[in-house]
Amino acid sequence: MSTSSEHDIPASGGAGLAGVAARESVAGGRRVRRFSADISAVGEPGLWALGGALALGIILIAGFLGVVAWNGVTTFWPKPIERVELRDGDVLAGVARRSGTYRVGQDVLLRLDDAQRAEIEANLGFADRTLYQTANYDLYGDDFRWVSDFEVANVTQPADFHYFERQTWGVFIGRVAGLTIDGTERAFDPALMQREQAAARQRFNEIRRLEQRDIGRINHQIERERLAQRRATLRQGEEAAAPAVAESQARIADLQAEFQVLQARVNEIRERDRRYRVQLEEVGGRTIDTELSQIVRYFAANQLSLFEKIRIYFSRWWEFVSAEPREANTQGGVLPAIFGTVAMTMLMVIFVAPFGVITALYLREYAKQGRLTSIVRISVNNLAGVPSIVYGVFGLGFFAYTMGGTIDQLFYPEALPNPTFGKGGILWASLTLALLTVPVVIVASEEALAAVPRSMREGSLACGASKWQTIRYVVLPKALPGIMTGMILAMARGAGEVAPLMLVGVVKLAPALPIDGFFPFIHLDRSFMHLGFHIFDVGFQSRNSEAGKPMVFVTTLLLLALIVAMNATAIIIRNRLKRRYATGQF
Amino acid sequence: MPDTTAPSQHSAAARAERRRLRSLDTRRSVVWGEKIAGGVITVGGLMVIFAVLGIMLFLFRVVMPLMDGGEMLGDVRYQLDTEQDVIWVNGDEFQTLGIAVAAEGRAITYHVPTGTEIARTELDFGGAEVTAVSGTLSRDQVAFGFDDGTVRFAELGFSTATTARRNLPEGLARLDDRDRMGDGRVFTEVGTGDFRTLSSVVELGEAEAISEHAIIAVDYRVGGTRERPTLAFATVDATNQVRVSRSRVQVNMMTNEQTITTTTSELPSLDLAPGVSVTGILLSGTGDRAIVSTDDGFVHRYDLRNMDAPQLAESRRVGDEGVAVTAMTFLSGEESLVVGSEDGSINVYFRLQTGTRETTDRRELVRARTHAQMPAAIVDLSEAQRQKEFVAVDAEGNVWVFHSTSDQVLFELARSGDVTTDSTAMIFPRSNGVMLVSQGGEIEAWQYVQRHPEVTLRVLFGRIWYEGYAQPTFVWQSTAGTDLAEPKYSLVPLIFGTMKAAFYAMLFAVPIALGAAIYTSEFVDRRVRATVKPMMEMMESLPTVVLGFIAALVLAPLVEEWIGAVLVGFFALPMGLMLGAFLWQMLPVQTALKLDGFPKFILMGASILVTAQIAIWLGPLFEAALFHGDFKQWTTGRIGTGTPFMFLILLPLSYLIVAWSFRKTVGHHYRALLGDRDRAAAGRLDALRWLVMLAAAMVLSYAFAATLTALGYDPRGGFIDSYQQRNALVVGFIMAFAVIPNIYTLAEDALNAVPGHLRAASLACGATPWQTALWVVVPTAASGIFSAVMMGMGRAVGETMIVVMAAGNTPIMEWNIFSGLRTLSANIAIELPEAVKDGTNYRVLFLAALTLFIMTFVINTAAELVRQRFRKRAFQL
Repeated sequence: MSTSSEHDIPASGGAGLAGVAARESVAGGRRVRRFSADISAVGEPGLWALGGALALGIILIAGFLGVVAWNGVTTFWPKPIERVELRDGDVLAGVARRSGTYRVGQDVLLRLDDAQRAEIEANLGFADRTLYQTANYDLYGDDFRWVSDFEVANVTQPADFHYFERQTWGVFIGRVAGLTIDGTERAFDPALMQREQAAARQRFNEIRRLEQRDIGRINHQIERERLAQRRATLRQGEEAAAPAVAESQARIADLQAEFQVLQARVNEIRERDRRYRVQLEEVGGRTIDTELSQIVRYFAANQLSLFEKIRIYFSRWWEFVSAEPREANTQGGVLPAIFGTVAMTMLMVIFVAPFGVITALYLREYAKQGRLTSIVRISVNNLAGVPSIVYGVFGLGFFAYTMGGTIDQLFYPEALPNPTFGKGGILWASLTLALLTVPVVIVASEEALAAVPRSMREGSLACGASKWQTIRYVVLPKALPGIMTGMILAMARGAGEVAPLMLVGVVKLAPALPIDGFFPFIHLDRSFMHLGFHIFDVGFQSRNSEAGKPMVFVTTLLLLALIVAMNATAIIIRNRLKRRYATGQF
Repeated sequence: MPDTTAPSQHSAAARAERRRLRSLDTRRSVVWGEKIAGGVITVGGLMVIFAVLGIMLFLFRVVMPLMDGGEMLGDVRYQLDTEQDVIWVNGDEFQTLGIAVAAEGRAITYHVPTGTEIARTELDFGGAEVTAVSGTLSRDQVAFGFDDGTVRFAELGFSTATTARRNLPEGLARLDDRDRMGDGRVFTEVGTGDFRTLSSVVELGEAEAISEHAIIAVDYRVGGTRERPTLAFATVDATNQVRVSRSRVQVNMMTNEQTITTTTSELPSLDLAPGVSVTGILLSGTGDRAIVSTDDGFVHRYDLRNMDAPQLAESRRVGDEGVAVTAMTFLSGEESLVVGSEDGSINVYFRLQTGTRETTDRRELVRARTHAQMPAAIVDLSEAQRQKEFVAVDAEGNVWVFHSTSDQVLFELARSGDVTTDSTAMIFPRSNGVMLVSQGGEIEAWQYVQRHPEVTLRVLFGRIWYEGYAQPTFVWQSTAGTDLAEPKYSLVPLIFGTMKAAFYAMLFAVPIALGAAIYTSEFVDRRVRATVKPMMEMMESLPTVVLGFIAALVLAPLVEEWIGAVLVGFFALPMGLMLGAFLWQMLPVQTALKLDGFPKFILMGASILVTAQIAIWLGPLFEAALFHGDFKQWTTGRIGTGTPFMFLILLPLSYLIVAWSFRKTVGHHYRALLGDRDRAAAGRLDALRWLVMLAAAMVLSYAFAATLTALGYDPRGGFIDSYQQRNALVVGFIMAFAVIPNIYTLAEDALNAVPGHLRAASLACGATPWQTALWVVVPTAASGIFSAVMMGMGRAVGETMIVVMAAGNTPIMEWNIFSGLRTLSANIAIELPEAVKDGTNYRVLFLAALTLFIMTFVINTAAELVRQRFRKRAFQL
């Protein structure tokens, strides 16, 4: 710097920049840039390092979101089935999932011929390979197979290969060998198959409806009667309760008779369903014989028009958001998980809202700023900083075991030793998450309260309103959008937390939703499914993580979309408010 | 007052006036509303403090019982009707029935809490005198050795059944509040209206002749299945001859007849000095070793793996010269040998594979623990069935219950009357009581509860020598493969894992987050900032389960496949950016000005993408050049030397050294040189300088690395070791992803809070924005930035899902960046759903949660205090 000041008209580039910058600094406000005497003072390498860090951060985020979005969006797009002949004579049919480069192992190299080996060596010992979804788990014992490029002799896309999504056993890839309609064997006819498959699915849904809704209702009532009997015996003693028990026993007998009737109907439909069958043949010629109703969806993957592809794509999305999972959660839909996530989050907001707002009111309106508020603030920050898993531990130990255990003893002694509230459930999960997200609400509400101009409060007080009246009728309405922002942020945070839920009531497959048609309609003691846990479960605890991967990506996309949407809403509201209050002084 | 108000009560005008005044008063509902609102809000506000304290206290409350000792529930003492001394005793797991066998053969079944006799069987020993007795671990199979050289087996067990209330026999005699007895059985009500029925099973087998001389010590083990049991027993006779016998019992399916075939082999002589005699013998359940103790202070171990050629594997003195070994037992699992001596000392030995040449089988008995010394000679040691516990009785009649692994005396049982000597004791099967028989048929029984004897502070945080380990170590293994192995609860590997994950996460996160924050705050205009910051904030609420899934299923395989490219990337990215910077310096002024701002930022991003692509191309070449073509092979330490990796690691340091020396020596001249040139020329010169310095740094770094290798240092085995797919590198990288937004937002806030006039003053004095940022803004905001880093650290420490999914969850303690880890949080998430409520594992996991809570509490409180102070100071500036 000293060197440049000695020159009248500096020749150096840095000084030239300084001249330009001087002009800008008049116009540009407090940030004056490009003001330099020599090249090292500008710190270009340092700037690039800092800027690179920011750019890297953004690239990482974009890459991350891109990977999730791309994989999620393309999962349901129907892909062609390839019939691959290998050089060793093996034949397989499958859908190419992804490809990659890998290092060829020594033992494999030894088995190859010279041309192949030379090819690999030229590639520094690497080779390309493709992962085929060969499906047919019941025949092969595996869903996927890696095929190296050097193994492949010939690839074709035969027109008659279909992609069958089945109710159980996952996907089948192969052709239709024959149909059995009402017990008589028929040749494959696409129109016939389509009609019969639709009819078979209707039968399947009918059985399901009968089993889940009607039989489920009867089971529920029988269970209620049993518990009522036990309760009566426990409260009144065996003798006193005898008439009530006998009455209830009679009701159970009625219900059981009803149950028999329904069961007979189910059996009848099932019997009929068994006469409609389809014979499927895999690429190697082995066949399986299955009920038509087992086939959820099928299509000739190599003959699809664009329109049909779009139809299948959206029909899969619809199934995904509207159906229950099947095949160990790796296929089907995630409706119960969506439902569980939303219900739990809503319940959480009910708990977190008053607590968060009251604390914010205390900090902003009631407390004298001093040591006590400083402690409260440290507590808030600690609540925000405590690892979520610790909340899970606390929720399990305190809410579920201690509080729930007490509730069980007081109100549900008839069900013991089976816990009603004394285990993880949606109530405890939402309470735990409420505790976890309360700092978010407190901080946002405090900000919102602080943004309410002082003049409004003073005006209200001057008109004779009391402090609470001022808060109730002036401050809170004005701060409401900001508080709502906090709620939305809390919901976004709560919807994405998984670790504590694993301890307080999330399950991989919930037998019943927390809300249903039976009194009292909302069952706070029930376990529930959760999108985040679904990702963990399907990705890490299913028999084949590769088979679950598409499902995980789609679920991830759904969860991310949910959370990003909530966050974006909150941020937009906040920015709009900031702008309003920045100029909105009275 | 009375005289002024009294008349006005009557006047209507005064009444109206009073009404008017009252209406001016605040309505009562408003006053009460005010009070209630104030109260509720204050209490609600302070609830936050209670919430934090409440969580901590609750965790404490669950953890505290871990540290509790046991509690004595009481003891009873009574005399049984025997003629001679009691030689064997057994009790059932409910502490209801006991069986005592006296030397004359009388077996008495009695009610443990009251001493009431329930049944009596006279065993016929055929006139021989019992000289040795021993039983299996469960104490219901017993072998008696006699003075005529014979051995007999007996069953002294219990049978349990359940009887419904309506099937209960008539005329039961009441024993105590709980139990009733009738026709040799005891009925205990078990809550639901059912009765547990207990009776004893006493049977004596045929005599088997083993030796010509009296049997002085015997040990007995039953193995095999229930249908085809294999019996093994070891005997020592009066001539100190040791024999091991195996009996195979075959049950004929048709006739239900048992045929027993016994093979006896004589073991090699002990070669004892004259006058030395054997004090005891132990046989392992698998029959592969026998241990004999002698009164000159030695234990002798036989290797019986080859029954045709049994060997005396070693003779080891276990005490001081001439101090007799007076009692021995295996702990359950038969890995630990407990040896009690004449001087009251109790030692635990493990048989370890040390590779020593002094024994025939390369194994030796190693002393693992010395327990508290008892006041007098140990006369009896008896192990518990399900825990690593034993009870020791000394010659003065003291009865102590030990827990071996946690090395503590659980109870020093108080005798309720006169002490009679020579007693033997047993621990009830559920480890909740001790029964002591003294010679002459006196029984004393204690009942106690002990909650978590296997856990002490030393177990949780110290090195413990577990069975099967070569030395004391930190181990976390809460569920064991077999029933006999004990759970190991050291929190240290988990804390280590937590630290390791947080360390690697911070290694990636801090430079990126702080760099990005400084750049956003100081060098980017408002519009860019308004889009970048919310984006980063949104990233903060990305569910970590998604990050974990990407880490484990996408990134981990990718990194494994492209490890070479990843390594290159670490060096290529900074170099690419630097190259960009030096090229930028060469641009003409006008172009540089035109492109400044957003286009420049795009260029930075582009340089990252380009170098990333180059890294992918170079990866395999790089691996071939430095790591013999396969980095993963190289990490195992089998090929190559440590030089290439150390060269890479030391490169940044070497560059710093070169840069520093350049600055110290020719820096001033160089700057003068730059100042004389126009921008493009200066830029070219500077780029040249950079290249030269880079080359110098490479040479220097290689020299360092080669020197280290020559000195024998190899990073492999330290922070580099064999590669696992789910490793700290992947976890650190993805966790950094979770932490970056946190640090970034807080640091950016802190930088933004630095008052504008400081910047203005600095710029006005002629400093460049870079100099202003570096020397004015960042130092002012330092405490805020520090607090941001701390908060990020707090989050990294507690992060769960990423670690659960991507860290492999192996609780090992090594800094190797390519190996997995298990953190406190992941451990809780994995194990707590399966832990039994109020069990030891449950409480230890709560302790893990408490540890985590305290760690983050300290970090966050420190960060918050620093931040509050920073805010106050920034406000004053």
